[in-house]
Amino acid sequence: MIKLRNVSKIYPNGARALIGVNLDIAKGEFVFIVGPSGAGKSTLIKLLYREEIATRGQVFINNINLVRLKNRQVPALRRNMGVIFQDFKLLPNKTVFENVAFALQVIAKDKKEIKEKTLSVLDLVGLSKKANAFPAQLSGGEQQRVCIARALVNRPELLIADEPTGNLDIDTAWGIVEILDRINKYGTTVVMATHALHIVEQMNKRVVRVEGGRIVEDRAEEEVRIGI
Amino acid sequence: MAFNSLKYILAQGLVSLKRNVWLSLASILTVAISLILLGSSIIFLANATTIAKTFESQVQIAVFLDDNLDDGQVAAIQNRIKNLPGIESVTLTTKEQALWDFQESMNTTSLLEDLGGINPFPDKITIIATDPNLVKDIASQVEKIPGVENVRYGQGFLEKLLAFTNWLRWIGMAVVAVFALIALLLISLSIKTNVNSREKEIQIMRLVGASNSFVRWPFIIEGLVIGLLGGLIAVAAVGFAYNWLLQYIISSLAFIPVVANQEFIIMVFLIMVLGGMLMGALASMISVRKFLCF
Repeated sequence: MIKLRNVSKIYPNGARALIGVNLDIAKGEFVFIVGPSGAGKSTLIKLLYREEIATRGQVFINNINLVRLKNRQVPALRRNMGVIFQDFKLLPNKTVFENVAFALQVIAKDKKEIKEKTLSVLDLVGLSKKANAFPAQLSGGEQQRVCIARALVNRPELLIADEPTGNLDIDTAWGIVEILDRINKYGTTVVMATHALHIVEQMNKRVVRVEGGRIVEDRAEEEVRIGI
Repeated sequence: MAFNSLKYILAQGLVSLKRNVWLSLASILTVAISLILLGSSIIFLANATTIAKTFESQVQIAVFLDDNLDDGQVAAIQNRIKNLPGIESVTLTTKEQALWDFQESMNTTSLLEDLGGINPFPDKITIIATDPNLVKDIASQVEKIPGVENVRYGQGFLEKLLAFTNWLRWIGMAVVAVFALIALLLISLSIKTNVNSREKEIQIMRLVGASNSFVRWPFIIEGLVIGLLGGLIAVAAVGFAYNWLLQYIISSLAFIPVVANQEFIIMVFLIMVLGGMLMGALASMISVRKFLCF
């Protein structure tokens, strides 16, 4: 599903964020991207939803080359993926329901379909009862669940998470990761960049370690299991 | 674009005006003030031009003819003048007419007798030029026509008048240009603030796969509405103020020529409202664009 070939990213200020990265992620996988701050995790994630474009090399998602993708084709790409962030990025003056429904309004669904899909995805993240609350009335964990609901409401094949638990305490973080795991079991590919090593170690998933802009380790699921 | 999107975009443009009511209000007032400046300056220019034109239209050339010409010769001179370039009108005042007019103004009937039976007035031709800048040229050509004794056009005064009216026109245009620029700056700054305050909203729209036009249109509609409302406020303000000023000038400073032409005023108001809407929409479009380059 995701294929990076010899990808380098050099920012206009000269910073080399990624150097010659090769990575394959199959459909249905759950992959952690780990590494210290400034290692290139965020850049790697941004290449996947084409917030950044690789300076060299090729980035493929479902055989679409993102490096060659035209600007006007980006919206269509993003409709097939969900993205969640450390800082949630919810609209403060919209309710939980409206925040999630927003993702459907943007692609011109009719009211009935929007309502059905939004309520069903809120149920999935356990927020049905808070549909009419505003983000400020929710805890951090609940806000992140709204964000996940918004990312999922289009039923994307790929969910990209950039430090989704960075602002949350340990228990709440586990709640979020469990939701992501459940989503993955329904068939959605999940790529999650994180600092939370305690989660990574206990989850028994594939782990890609990035340091100094290079992939220095790529542990598959089974090896971890044997390790423990 | 799908009908659902169109409905959503239209509603969104208006809803966001309501949600950001203080910011919208600030933008509307900024637009109104800018347009008041612009509208007033256009009215000022029109009046400056009218004043200049009125002064200039009072410039005439008086041509005095030799005393011993017969009617045919006078008519021939009149024709030659008519055929010169830049002539608006040529009027003959015969010596008899001049004497008669003078007698009228003196309130007597026996002027000719009092003067000893001799009419001292020459035949006079009054020329009005199409452009006061041509007056000097026309005068020097007329002087060369045989049978012309003397030409007067307010030598010395004319140059000063032209300098003054030209200056008046330039000031008027400069004022319009400066205020148009100020209006443009104020409106785009204010709309820019409005759009920037919603950077996050735009970011999220892009993230969930909104097309560029889907992001852009609500802002353009918002800009149009802000321009329209600001324009209407400005029209009301300028309308009242100018109406009051007109009445004051007409009643107590009647010698100043003013522009009270309905069509002109309606045109200025249209320029203000449409200009406001155009600037609002353009400023929105430009401000949003920086968030749209993927």
